[in-house]
Amino acid sequence: MFGRRTLLAAAAALALIIPVAGTTGAQAQQPPVRIALIGPMSGTGAFEGQLGLEGAQAMAAVINAKGGVAGGRKIELLTYDDKGSPEDGVSAAKRAMEQDNVDMIIGGWFSAVALSMKEVTRDKIITVMTSSQHPKVTEEGHKYLFRLNATSAMMSEFYSKAICDRIKPKSIAFMNVNDDWGRLELDNYTKLLTGCGIEVKGHEFYNRTDTDFTTALTKLKSLNADAIYVAAINTSQGATIYRQIKQTGYRGKVIASAGNMNPKLVELSGNSLEQVYSASPFTEDGAAPSLKPWLDQYRKDYKNDPSFIAALGAQAVQTLAFGVDAAGGDPRAYDKIAAALKSQAVPTVMGELRFSDKGQASQAIHLVQVQKKQIVSVRD
Amino acid sequence: MDFTVFAQQIANGLVNGMAYVLIATGLTLVFGVLRIVNFAHGEFYMLGAYITYFVGTLFGLDYIAAAAISAVVVAGLGVAANKLIFWPLRRDHEFTILLSSLGLALLIANGGELLFGADPKYVESPFADEVLEIGTVTLTQQRVLVFAAAVVALIAVYLFIRYSRFGKMMRATAQNPDGAALTGINIGLVHTYTFALACGLAALSGALVGPTVMIFPTIGNWAVLKGFIVVIMGGLGSVTGALFAGLLLGVIESLGGGYISLGFMEAIGYAMIIAVLLWRPNGLFSTARGLR
Repeated sequence: MFGRRTLLAAAAALALIIPVAGTTGAQAQQPPVRIALIGPMSGTGAFEGQLGLEGAQAMAAVINAKGGVAGGRKIELLTYDDKGSPEDGVSAAKRAMEQDNVDMIIGGWFSAVALSMKEVTRDKIITVMTSSQHPKVTEEGHKYLFRLNATSAMMSEFYSKAICDRIKPKSIAFMNVNDDWGRLELDNYTKLLTGCGIEVKGHEFYNRTDTDFTTALTKLKSLNADAIYVAAINTSQGATIYRQIKQTGYRGKVIASAGNMNPKLVELSGNSLEQVYSASPFTEDGAAPSLKPWLDQYRKDYKNDPSFIAALGAQAVQTLAFGVDAAGGDPRAYDKIAAALKSQAVPTVMGELRFSDKGQASQAIHLVQVQKKQIVSVRD
Repeated sequence: MDFTVFAQQIANGLVNGMAYVLIATGLTLVFGVLRIVNFAHGEFYMLGAYITYFVGTLFGLDYIAAAAISAVVVAGLGVAANKLIFWPLRRDHEFTILLSSLGLALLIANGGELLFGADPKYVESPFADEVLEIGTVTLTQQRVLVFAAAVVALIAVYLFIRYSRFGKMMRATAQNPDGAALTGINIGLVHTYTFALACGLAALSGALVGPTVMIFPTIGNWAVLKGFIVVIMGGLGSVTGALFAGLLLGVIESLGGGYISLGFMEAIGYAMIIAVLLWRPNGLFSTARGLR
């Protein structure tokens, strides 16, 4: 057996060693800032989820390569699948908060998911909603909630001017997805375009699970409108609609909804998107130099072309990293982080972001057009 | 009523309906001959579209060759699925087989997501964007091809079942498997041929419909749902029933969506099932056990 003296000596030696080992360990590796990325990783919106995740991961890699946030803490992204459905979004947010104890949340790629999820995260955790456009996401102004994308009202105010002044159709018909956003789009544009003298000839709502659109497009073609406006969120449905518009023999103008133009959509749509306009906060040509490190990282890591959705993923990570730094380094100091984000401009890949008191970002929106299968910004 | 729009909607419905028929024929064959409800049938449709895509892009083969290769490869995969899952389970309870097919469906769909990626893909075809004007009706060559190829395939299947030696063996097995085995028919071989034929047809429909839409790993859900609606309406195991029910569903969906409401289109299929089951519980063309 060990004698008392030996035990005491051993205890003293341990007491000396442990704090030293503890300090060096902490200095070498601080715990990461853990961010949940909740998005549609499967189902019809899976591609959008993949783009958002890629953008976020590329930005996390850029930030981590520069030493991380708050003096050396790395960003760790945890991925959750919301399947594009509000129920799964809610359960993913609960799992992230209660089971995995994450520091912050990125989510809300679709409005329907954002609207349900925000009630679960309300006043509990800093949450950044990404591409959802429904105004109600930030209307109530929860204290820890932020949204990056412009609301459909902000988008339509900008884009309707371009439609009235530049595209100038005499009449228009709408092909919108049958959800909160698609219906809101119809209301907004009907009001705004009628205001500048464009006749609205009719509309069709398609379902989020539809794969063939010939029935709806046959009806729209028979209205003989000068232009068809397509409000489609997901890439696979959008590409099928643009192709089928041409295949039905429609020869008028086609207008793509704001915020939903991406390189994959252009690739899949063949020639049917040539000369088609859209509006987007993201343009690669003439972009700010701040975009470059992320673009390089993205191109190095992924085969997809950089897109608006990927840039939103990057912007979300950047916003959270900026907030943690500005609030003194604690990712759980939610009041401080929220105050910091609302009180100053946040430098991001798409330029400076300013958040309103309700957490709504204002981003610059650009008119874009597909020319020779490239999305280019149109400047006056 | 505008006749041009009406004729166009009928044409759209007939093309969509013919694609449903092709999907449903495989489903109904497997049920009619082997009494297997195969929930993984839609996944073979998905594989048909993807293999056509990959054969076309990776090996540079033209669309028709790619579609033919895809049908053969998927027929082979169907045989493998039968050997690994359905044949060993043939004496088990129907529910065991049904749940196994559901498991297989999930396995293929999720495996597809991992293997092919989540990004939607487009099956290139030289006929996809070529527009044909037939009177007042506008259709792409691809959509005409969907209809024509399906007609040819269905006639071939009909002749095969009706007159070929294997077709007769299939029909005998459908009527009474034990009796068929007693007369010396190799039931194992009938299983193999039926799966090859059914999965090949599913792949062919995937390859034909592929260039009219975008493909992604979960399109099988859509295909199997439409297939089941048609099979239940037409009568389980009835090929003739599948033909009429498929075309009827396509046209009614198209007219319902065109003249009532698009939001209503999905519901039409289910409403038709309820109506048919109330009126003729075994389906429109069902009479007795066997392959018709």
